[in-house]
Amino acid sequence: MTENDYLAKIIIGCKNGDAECFSKVVDIYARRCYGYFYRLIGNKDVSDELLSTLFVKLVEKIGSYKGGSFESWLFKIASNIFHDYLRTKQRQKKLLDERKKQLKLEITVPKQADSERFDKLQVQLGKLDADTRELIMLRFYSQLSFKEIAKTRSEPIGTTLSKLHRGLKKLRELME
Amino acid sequence: MNGQKEENLKELFEKFFTTEQAQKAVEDVQKAEHILNEHPAPEPDKELIADIKSAIAASLLAKQTSIFRTIVYKAAAVAAAVIIVAAIGVNLINKGDRSEKVVYASIIPRAIWESVDIAADDVDLAILTAEIEQIEDEVLALQLGKSGGDSDTAVTELEMELIETDSYFWKG
Repeated sequence: MTENDYLAKIIIGCKNGDAECFSKVVDIYARRCYGYFYRLIGNKDVSDELLSTLFVKLVEKIGSYKGGSFESWLFKIASNIFHDYLRTKQRQKKLLDERKKQLKLEITVPKQADSERFDKLQVQLGKLDADTRELIMLRFYSQLSFKEIAKTRSEPIGTTLSKLHRGLKKLRELME
Repeated sequence: MNGQKEENLKELFEKFFTTEQAQKAVEDVQKAEHILNEHPAPEPDKELIADIKSAIAASLLAKQTSIFRTIVYKAAAVAAAVIIVAAIGVNLINKGDRSEKVVYASIIPRAIWESVDIAADDVDLAILTAEIEQIEDEVLALQLGKSGGDSDTAVTELEMELIETDSYFWKG
């Protein structure tokens, strides 16, 4: 049985509500999805939360998977979860900023201390713009082709190639 | 399902860059991906994976319960609808039967009711009428003394005829 056939069989089981098949999907994809969230956010607790959300969403949405690249479909959900998290975070930040203004407090953010907790790659990734960072992580952890990534992001393949090439080149320069 | 393994990066970049630029771009991508491989992200804890699996099992159970409940509700709704329709149907049929069940009972035949000459149309009545007429003639003959014989015998015969007629009449 090929890898694709094995995965197809598992997905059919998931569609039939088989908990064992969902467990296998978790075993196959948890590490990659966790890496994707962690490299984008840089926080273990939030990555834990988003990974749980992803697999619970998978149970809810498995009926809407109509074939094609499963990775592409799964990472599209992961990307949506990440963007929902960013939106929530932005709303919270906005509320917090308003609160700060009201209290007239001066808060200094210990940026260096935060950075020290991350590995070198995480620090350098933080220097890339959010969209490029997400694109690199999508490419690396989903293992999708450029064509599939372009389709997932609803943009021309030339744009995806160009953005990713620039981003990876910059990351390489930052890491050297 | 893993599209990255099957893709030819050089060929893809050559669609947008010159051959030299494409070669350089492929090297950039490969080197950067090598850096990413050398710096793996932390892996999820075993406890987290166990929690996720439990959450999935709970979610599936809730989903199945919900589906079962929906089926039961739908079945109950369908059964209620069937009962209502059946009740209405039975009610309508009963109404129809009731109108058909009305019987106009009569001890007098329809032909007699519609007859203009009852004595002629009803055979029994015709016989009875004929006998009465015969008796009347005989009584008249007796009164007039036309019997020309023994008047006692004539009276006896008349009485017998009356008894016979009376018995036929009550027999119907």
